[in-house]
Amino acid sequence: MKLPLFLASRELRHDWQAAACFIAALVGVLAPLLIILALKNGAIDAMLGRLVEDPANRELIAIGTGRHDADFFKKLTARDDVLFVTPATRSINAQANAVRNRQARKLVRKVVLIPSAAGDPISTTANVAPGVATLSTRLADELEVAPGDTIEIRINRRLNNVVETATQDVVVAGIVPAENYGRSALFIAVQDMVAIERFRDDASVTAEDWAEPRAMPETFASFRLYTRSLADISALEKNLAAQGVNVRPRAQNVELLLSFQRNLNLLFVIIAALAVIGFWAAMASNLRGAVERQRTSLSLLHLLGLTESSRRLIPVTQSVILVLGGVFITLLFVLPSIVFINRFFTPEGFERIAWLGPQHLFGTFVLGLMTAITASMWAVLAIKEIKSDEVLRTS
Amino acid sequence: MGQGTKQVVLDVQALGVRLSDEFGVVVDRLKLHRGEVIVLDAPSGAGKSTVLGLISGAIAPDRSAKMVHMMSHQQIANRAPGPETMGFVLQTSALVPYLSVEENITLPCQVAQIAADSDWLSYLINGLGLQGLETRKPQQISVGQRQRVGIARSFLAKPALLLLDEPVSALDPSNVDQVESLIALLAEEAGAGVVLASHQAARGAFSGSPRAHHRTEVRGGTLYSVFDAELAA
Repeated sequence: MKLPLFLASRELRHDWQAAACFIAALVGVLAPLLIILALKNGAIDAMLGRLVEDPANRELIAIGTGRHDADFFKKLTARDDVLFVTPATRSINAQANAVRNRQARKLVRKVVLIPSAAGDPISTTANVAPGVATLSTRLADELEVAPGDTIEIRINRRLNNVVETATQDVVVAGIVPAENYGRSALFIAVQDMVAIERFRDDASVTAEDWAEPRAMPETFASFRLYTRSLADISALEKNLAAQGVNVRPRAQNVELLLSFQRNLNLLFVIIAALAVIGFWAAMASNLRGAVERQRTSLSLLHLLGLTESSRRLIPVTQSVILVLGGVFITLLFVLPSIVFINRFFTPEGFERIAWLGPQHLFGTFVLGLMTAITASMWAVLAIKEIKSDEVLRTS
Repeated sequence: MGQGTKQVVLDVQALGVRLSDEFGVVVDRLKLHRGEVIVLDAPSGAGKSTVLGLISGAIAPDRSAKMVHMMSHQQIANRAPGPETMGFVLQTSALVPYLSVEENITLPCQVAQIAADSDWLSYLINGLGLQGLETRKPQQISVGQRQRVGIARSFLAKPALLLLDEPVSALDPSNVDQVESLIALLAEEAGAGVVLASHQAARGAFSGSPRAHHRTEVRGGTLYSVFDAELAA
């Protein structure tokens, strides 16, 4: 083992220009591949990370209306993949005709009403309760309100061609961060949502008594539902569909991105495989050619008694040295390049766009080693054909 | 040491190879003891190098040999004789191009995993005029110097049998006598039996050495170049 290693390394050192060209060729193939891999990892991971961090992307929106009873909500709440669920009224009733800040004389028309409760992943700054609400940052800015202020909700209904308006004062408990919810919206308790729906749907409820506490309905037309992770969306969606409850993910691009990631992975594997095959062929030819150039020396080594296995180890050792050397030099170029790319090309809001983990580096070395060993097989087979008597006749 | 107790280093019977349908080479009988020299003096193309190749095991015979330097032919084919058993000076002065002069000289010992005698190594290097060239590569020295490196390589382990294939053919005529004399001296100091293939031996240091009988004959439609020699012990 020691002598073949010595002979292999000495030959490489002697023919260092050819070895350097070979390593340069490897770096030329491998470095772009690793940078593409780093960009693929970094960019996609960053996008997925942002999607994961944004709870809105984990919302399953109920399609149409249903009759969801307490048992339905109890079962959903008990599921591990459900982060948050709360009953909701029909979407037609999930809008206030206006919300007013009397002190600042500010009024916003057609404000979206969102049922909320403790544990709401969007309204995280304060809990709502009957008469207590949170506002999205945009709505708070429009109304010029701050936590502790009181705002007025105005609900209209048309009865016998007469428009009636009910109002209710609610206390602002908190402001929902803009990154959680970007549009104008008011987060209120389910009880308040139910009261609004009753006022609009039930003529017996008057504008004077509409806000008085009443028994909650036995069923709800809709719900707000969030999964614990992006990966839970698909399974929960199917589970609800099996119960006859149709939902759609708010972030339909999640599946698209996941699919894009899968396709990108496949594309990368195909590109890498083509590159590896091309490099493998070049390497195998190079090593086979080297055996031919060293035919007399190999015949002499045979004559001097170097065993066939030791002679065969020479091209294998050279192949491994060249490839591992090439991989090492590639990393000397690639790793600083990744640092450079992340430093100067990372968009605002992203931590990085290029990334290689230990598993990628380890995989590169293992793949390189396998390529080196298999590519040397042609040369190894050729060595068997070199007889010791060739050197007697070769000048 | 009396002649009667000399060690047999080569004992060959009916060792041959058919190189083509028309031509073959056979050693009918060749027996040699330590310290003896036998010259294969035959015209070019007669198969002198082939005889050395057969003896060394580099060329596989197609006729069974009874004995070759105390090893059966099958053993030789599977395992080359070590440098202390046999040294081979090649006509082609083949060296490993990526090893230095000294590394080329010590290569057979490295292959056989035996320690080289450093005093003997220095003696060979100085005696063959290679001092100062130890670290050079083969392509950095002359053809004659390469041939001398090949000679040093074959002598380093003091082999019992030396096969010399036109060892001075690549040398400048002015150096032929000097190197040939040195080979004879070194062989004597090593106590080796020598088989010399040369068509120049008639006028060199080995001019007085016995020759193997050489003849050609047709056997089964093939022309054979036949060598035959047995020196009295």
